[in-house]
Formats: sequence, C-alpha cells, structure tokens
Amino acid sequence: MKIAFVCQRYGNEISGGAELHCRWIAEHMRKYMDVEVLTTRAFDYITWKDHYPRGDEIVNGVPVKRFSVVRPRVPERFGRIQNRILENEHTEADELKWLEEEGPFSPELIEYIKEHEEDYDYFIFFSYRYYHSYWGIRTVPEKSILVPTAEHDPVIHLNIFKDLFRLPRAFVYNSYEERAMINRVSRNQDVPGDVVGVGSVIPDKIESESFRRKHPGLDDYIIYIGRIDENKGCQQLFDYYLRFKRETRSPIKLALVGSTQLQIPAHPDISYLGFLSEEDKFAALKGAQVLSIPSFYESLSMVTLEAWALEKPVLANSRCEVLKGQCLRSNAGLFYENYPEFREGLRLLLASAPLRAAMGNNGRRYFQENYTWEVIEKKYLAILDDLEKES
Amino acid sequence: MAEEKKEKNGVQSDADIRIDYDHIDVADIMGQIKRKVAAEPEPEDPGAFHGGEVEPPGPGTEPPGSGGGRSRLKRILIKVMRPFSPLIKLLVLPVHEQLQETIQTLDRTNRRLDAVAARLGDFALDSTMHQINAEVNERVNKAFEDIGRSKEYIKLMHGLEHNLVVEITKLKIESENLKLKLRIAEKDFEFLGRREKALEEEVFK
Repeated sequence: MKIAFVCQRYGNEISGGAELHCRWIAEHMRKYMDVEVLTTRAFDYITWKDHYPRGDEIVNGVPVKRFSVVRPRVPERFGRIQNRILENEHTEADELKWLEEEGPFSPELIEYIKEHEEDYDYFIFFSYRYYHSYWGIRTVPEKSILVPTAEHDPVIHLNIFKDLFRLPRAFVYNSYEERAMINRVSRNQDVPGDVVGVGSVIPDKIESESFRRKHPGLDDYIIYIGRIDENKGCQQLFDYYLRFKRETRSPIKLALVGSTQLQIPAHPDISYLGFLSEEDKFAALKGAQVLSIPSFYESLSMVTLEAWALEKPVLANSRCEVLKGQCLRSNAGLFYENYPEFREGLRLLLASAPLRAAMGNNGRRYFQENYTWEVIEKKYLAILDDLEKES
Repeated sequence: MAEEKKEKNGVQSDADIRIDYDHIDVADIMGQIKRKVAAEPEPEDPGAFHGGEVEPPGPGTEPPGSGGGRSRLKRILIKVMRPFSPLIKLLVLPVHEQLQETIQTLDRTNRRLDAVAARLGDFALDSTMHQINAEVNERVNKAFEDIGRSKEYIKLMHGLEHNLVVEITKLKIESENLKLKLRIAEKDFEFLGRREKALEEEVFK
C-alpha cells in the first residue's frame, strides 16, 4: 500500500501543530507501508514564501516532494478579505477567493495529485482550511482521508467547508469535540471516521536534578508550555495568577516555557525559561505541581497529553471544549470559566497532594489507553483496513 | 492553602469540597466548585467588579506585602469614586464602544431583514400562498370524496355478504330437507318392493 501525506508545510524545523502531527504520523506509518509526503516549499506560515529547495528530499527516512507556492500570502489583503466574508453576506466565489488568498497557493501540487492519482492508494490530507486540502480532496475524493485539525474558528462555518466535509472517504479526528463540531457544521455523520489524535514519546529517564540546578529558584511552581501569546490565553493566565497571588498569599510560582509574543509581567514569582530543549522541557514539566493550559482554542493539546504521561494534573480553560472534554473523560484535570473557578481549582490542586497524585494516575492511564504510538498506529491501520474492505 | 480533613474510605474534604480519592470524578468536583463560587458574596474589591474577570495587572502590579500610603490613598480614592463607578465604567471601559457596535450591528441586521421582507413581498407571497392553499383544499376535498365513495362501497359489500350468508343457510336447510325426503322415499320403495314380492308369492301359490 502506498500512502501520500499532503500537508501545507513539512520539515524538521517546523514545530507547528498540524505540520508536526503530519510528520510524526508519516514517520510512524512508514513501518507498515510506502509513505510519501506531498507539500509546498514554504516555511513561514504567514506568507508561505518558498524556502525549501524544489524537488525531492528525504526527511527522517520519509520521501518528500515539494511544490512551489505561486503567490505568497499578503497578510493585510488576506485580513481584509477574511473580515469581509466573516462580517458580510457573500457568495461562494468570495469564499473561494478567500481560500486562494489563504494559500498556500500551489496549483502545481494539485496538478501532481491529479496526474498521479493511480500511483497512490490513499491521500491523507492535514488541516481542512488550506488550499491543498480543499482542492486536493475535490481532486481525489474516493482516495482521500482528512485529518481536519479543526478548532472553534469562525471560518469552519463557511459554505465551502460544509460540502468539503462530506467528500472524503474517512476522517481522522483529534478529539470527540472536534468530531461533534464537524458533524454539527456539515451533517457528515455518514462519513466514517475515528477519534485518533497523535501519540507522544516520553523519555524513559528525565533529568529533573540538572534542571533544578539550572533554575535554583524554582521549587513549587505551576507551568505553562507553549507559545506565549494572547491568542493562547496567556494574558488571562497572568491576570488570574497575579490576582491569585494577591488574594491567597500563595508562594506558588509560575514558570513559562516557549517563544513569547507578549510582554510578560515583571513579577518575582513569574519565571520565563525561554525555549527549552525536549529534555529540559520534560524535566520542567516533571518538576511542576500543575500544568496550566489557558488556551481558548485547541484541536489537541500535545503538552496536556505529555503532562498526563508524566502524571501531572492540569488546570485548563473550560472555554476550550476539547480540553474540558479531555479533563472530564480522563478525570485528570480541573477547568475554569472565570477567575473564582480558577482560584478554587488551583487552590484545591495545590492544597492536596493526594488529589494531584490521583489525577496524575488517571492522566497516565488515559494517556496509555489512548495516546501511545502503538494505539495511534493501530487506529490508522484499522481505518485503512476498513476502507480496503469497503473497496 | 486550604486545610484538609481525612475521612473514611479515602474521601477527603477541603472545607466545602468533598473528594473521593479512589474514584476521582472531575464533573462532581467542578460541580462543587461552581456551587461554592456561586454561594460567595459579591467581592468588595472594585478591581473585581465584572464577575470574576480580573483587571489588567501590568508590570506595575505591586508585589505581595508592599502596602503603605499608596494603597491607603488608592482605597480612599476608590471609596470616593464608588458612587460614580457605573458612569465611569460606561465611559471608560469598552462597554460604551461595545454598546455602540451592538446597536450598529442590530441596525444592520434590521436593514437586512427589511430588505429580505421587501424581496419576499416582490415574490407576491400572499397570492402564492393563496394558490397553494386552494390547490391543497381541492386535493383534500377530492380525497374526502374518494373516501366517502369507498365507505358506500364497503357498506354495499357488507349487505351483499350478509345476503349471501342468509341464502347459503337457506339452501343448506333445503338440502337437508331434500336428503331426509330422499331417505324416506328409499325406505318406502324398499317396503313396496318387499310387499310386491309377498303378493307375487300369494298369487302363484
């Protein structure tokens, strides 16, 4: 069996959610079948400008074919078009224009899919909202599998996507909430699919001691890992944390890991650790009392799964239905809708070591049952098997 | 930090929140947290005036423990300004702009609704509905007529069936009578035969 993974960007240097997700799945599935990646030459997700050399290359053992982006995105123009279609009545032609502006606009990639349809058994498309998925799925609907990586984003309600969600042979969802949302939007319940997500590899040995030596001031702390951005709810986290400190006089510290696009409040108990290596990231997570996930929109939070793998409870923003759903299903995290709930949740978690331990155990079990690579690979194989039987 | 009290069966309580550590139920814990938060009195601190939302802390946020004259002055100012707070909130916070935006959005929506209503008017909705109603009525009347005819037919069929049953019963009785008469006639014939033989014997003696 030969499978093509079709993704907007691809490379070791790209750490974005869907792209990393695609890379990991492709690298794991090559054990079972011939795998090839079809992608663009883009590296920058704002403009999609060509960055990688044209043609074929091998990335971690996976053959990759790259196609040029004919017209890079102009963020201002794209923003204007997006605002217009989201705020005004518009036609399907307007939506298609928006899609073309969003890019990555690479007709060459679609042309290749059309010409080489017979060379592949299935095409697995990542991220529903980009040009490659929309036109790719329309080119080979009978051979397409979509990994939508959808969030609560207004563009999901565009008419072009309602039709798109009914076309693929199968879906690979990241969460039950994502499946429910797509079903609600497009009434595509009859299209087969499964909730799979992505696996994670947890190092066997985590060097907590060396991390503690590097950061001697960090003893009792909650941690946030990810892009430090207002869109990720970090401003709200800072506000809530500082208010919690004022009101409760708690000595708990806040450690922040990741690249920042937001001014971090100058407070002696807020430590910005910057972008850490994988070893240090896991050590920092292992040493924390609680992982805080303030994000409003997540399709699947990998760091939450990693925290559970390390038996750490999480405190999540309940406005993100996926995180809330995962907390409820795993019984491994609390969530908050406003500051008083944040305060009570955090106070409860910090006050009770047995609660943290019990939730940590639940998290570990949930991770092992659903998110080890063995489980993920089996689910992908089962979906492909079902499609083969159907054929 | 809250105090914990250990109870039986791995169940612990943190003031108002009870947790079964053997079977952690996040939905139950969150329910208890929500009830606890709902039962809290309104905060006195005007910094928390919008339902649990926090004020922007900014880099100038004082670290814990640094009280003094500044915070006293701040408290006095807040007390003096409290009667004006609704007005200040309306003017200073984005509420005013949001209100304007909302009104504008509603206005735009109304205009669109008016336009849609006008377009519907163009389609002569009333006459179309009237026509549809007339067609539907005609079909319903026809269907009722058909049903009436069917009922009459069924009644006639019942009468016919009844009469047939009566006739068949009469015929059955008639047939039984005839069978009986036949048996009597057979016996008479047999008797007459025997009498004939007896008379012949007497004649030829």
